[in-house]
Amino acid sequence: MTNNMATTTIEMAPDGADHISPPADADLATMLLIRHFELALLDLFARGELHGTTHTCLGQEYVPVALVPLLAERDYVFSNHRGHGHYIARFGDPAGLLAEIMGREGAVCNGVGGSQHIFRDRYLSTGVQGESLPVAAGVALHLKRHEPGALALTYIGDGTWGEGAVYEALNMAALWRLPLLVVVEHNGIAQSTATGAQMAGTIRARAAAFGIAHLRVENSSLTEIRATAGPLVERVRDGAPLVLEFVTHRLGPHSKGDDTRTDAELRQVRAADWHALYSEALGERFAEADAIAAARVTRLVDEVAARPPAVWSKA
Amino acid sequence: MAAPTMDRPTSAAPAPVQTLTIAKALNNGLRASMEANRKVLVMGEDVGKLGGVFRITDGLQKDFGEQRVLDTPLSESGIIGTAVGLAIRGYRPVCEIQFDGFIFPGFDQIVSQVAKLHYRTQGRLKLPMVIRVPFGGGIGAVEHHSESPESYFAHTAGLRVVTCSNPADAYWMIQQAIDCDDPVLFFEPKRRYYEKGEVDTTAAPGPLFRSRTLRTGRDVTVVTYGPMVRTSLDAAAAAEEEGRSLEVIDLRTLSPLDLAPVYESVRRTGRLVVVTEAPGESSISSEIAAKVQQECFYSLQAPVLRVTGFDTPYPPSKLEEEFLPDLDRVLHAVDRSLAW
Ligand SMILES: Cc1ncc(C[n+]2csc(CCOP(=O)(O)OP(=O)(O)O)c2C)c(N)n1
Repeated sequence: MTNNMATTTIEMAPDGADHISPPADADLATMLLIRHFELALLDLFARGELHGTTHTCLGQEYVPVALVPLLAERDYVFSNHRGHGHYIARFGDPAGLLAEIMGREGAVCNGVGGSQHIFRDRYLSTGVQGESLPVAAGVALHLKRHEPGALALTYIGDGTWGEGAVYEALNMAALWRLPLLVVVEHNGIAQSTATGAQMAGTIRARAAAFGIAHLRVENSSLTEIRATAGPLVERVRDGAPLVLEFVTHRLGPHSKGDDTRTDAELRQVRAADWHALYSEALGERFAEADAIAAARVTRLVDEVAARPPAVWSKA
Repeated sequence: MAAPTMDRPTSAAPAPVQTLTIAKALNNGLRASMEANRKVLVMGEDVGKLGGVFRITDGLQKDFGEQRVLDTPLSESGIIGTAVGLAIRGYRPVCEIQFDGFIFPGFDQIVSQVAKLHYRTQGRLKLPMVIRVPFGGGIGAVEHHSESPESYFAHTAGLRVVTCSNPADAYWMIQQAIDCDDPVLFFEPKRRYYEKGEVDTTAAPGPLFRSRTLRTGRDVTVVTYGPMVRTSLDAAAAAEEEGRSLEVIDLRTLSPLDLAPVYESVRRTGRLVVVTEAPGESSISSEIAAKVQQECFYSLQAPVLRVTGFDTPYPPSKLEEEFLPDLDRVLHAVDRSLAW
């Protein structure tokens, strides 16, 4: 091989309030916007305003926000069932998403996609696990040929590494040197099943088996993440696929009211929540931003809920 | 995997007739099978600790242990494939597919292995396995939690496909499916999970691969299964108030189809309406229409009419009321049939 990308594994310093570099105002605002957006959804469910399933990204909000400056508009993003943060970080459009979930006017997909099936510009999500990877690989192949320098990113949870489609895609991505960036949100659990009960070995070793570079991020400091991940993401653009694994935490239930974790486990998760760490590190500045985001979401919910139903029109 | 443990809990003798939901009846049925036969295993995503998303396997891991109730990775193809391996070695695995839309990653194993191994080995291999699938919509959920994929499987030779519509059938059919030496796809009407009915735990209402007439009538035969049985019975009750007498047949078995009672009924009524939640195109409902016109041609007073889901992907939950056949659509078809 002329350009051996194999098995770079970089481990970043673990998380903690003393490791948090102060974020830009805009980044902090987006993370908090996502937080309050997700809390509002759970509240809407509790009030019977929403039905079916929703998966909130509470605890994982910083992941897509960290990636924003590393991505370009021409890059594709493939999201999964836990994708509200991915969408908001990319488009800054909580109203379009909320309208989509509530089936109101102004919905991104006229209310047809709902929480899990969103399509906008170069962004596509599905709630069927694992299926996005080969699709993202196909898009990456097209990008490599026709828009060199662009990449396809796909988000995936740790549990989804159980699906065979994941490996078919990794194999092709490595073989064909595709600009594929696999962002793993490793939150330690899949629905009710702990990672240790569903994954043999490690994500790192699985990436290594394909000769795919791997970066493991155990930190929620945006500056640090960007500094470390940035150069590797640039190499993806040259056809060196990357598995970018975030060790993160699912703060809420899998969907609603279906958390099987013990109080002790939940306490641990809450203690590790970026929200708590940032709050401790930033003090007053954080509290103000948090209150602003909360108020913004409250207004948003009232405004969107008052809209008429979405109408399914042709494109 | 280690061998399953020999010891099993002895449950206190239950009352012979109990009022149960379909969900609880399935749970009790699984439990009865596991108690009766230590070769019965349950496997699937989150079936152990959580008891499955619909809690159909609730408490089974606690009572029968992790050797017999396996929480699997997110691997539908792996779940079904390993169940094939277990089945050809004499276990009786019961796989849970979390939602209808997630059976497709396992489709390959079902169509290429589960359906064909018995045939390919000239009967030397048996596959006594059950694949349980909560199916259908009506729960306000996303498309991949609401689909009715049964026709794909009924289309495939080598699979048996059944569906229950009430708690007594749920309790007995799951046990009969587990006892069956052939692979059975067992479709559960998820939106009816919490409907209650009486279950006589001392006697099965009949064999597994038989349809059943639930209501006799003179004017029009209505054939249906799964979640649409309740809708059709409600339609029959409403029709009666208008002086129309509907005969309602619950197919129960989709492959093989047991159409003898349907032919007999249509020969009397001369009219047939088939009601399914699944889209009609190339489906169980079209199969029934074809067979009935062939067998009952001279008795038919009207063409066989179908009331089905539309030939589209399952719609967003706000629109599902429009998609799902309801009492009015069934009655409308009955009117059309009678007006022919
Ligand atoms: C093919 C498929 N099987 C099952 C499911 C049901 N399901 C939805 S999310 C989920 C767990 C996913 O776990 P993970 O990949 O770790 O992501 P997380 O939910 O933790 O973000 C399961 C089993 C699904 N969506 N798709």
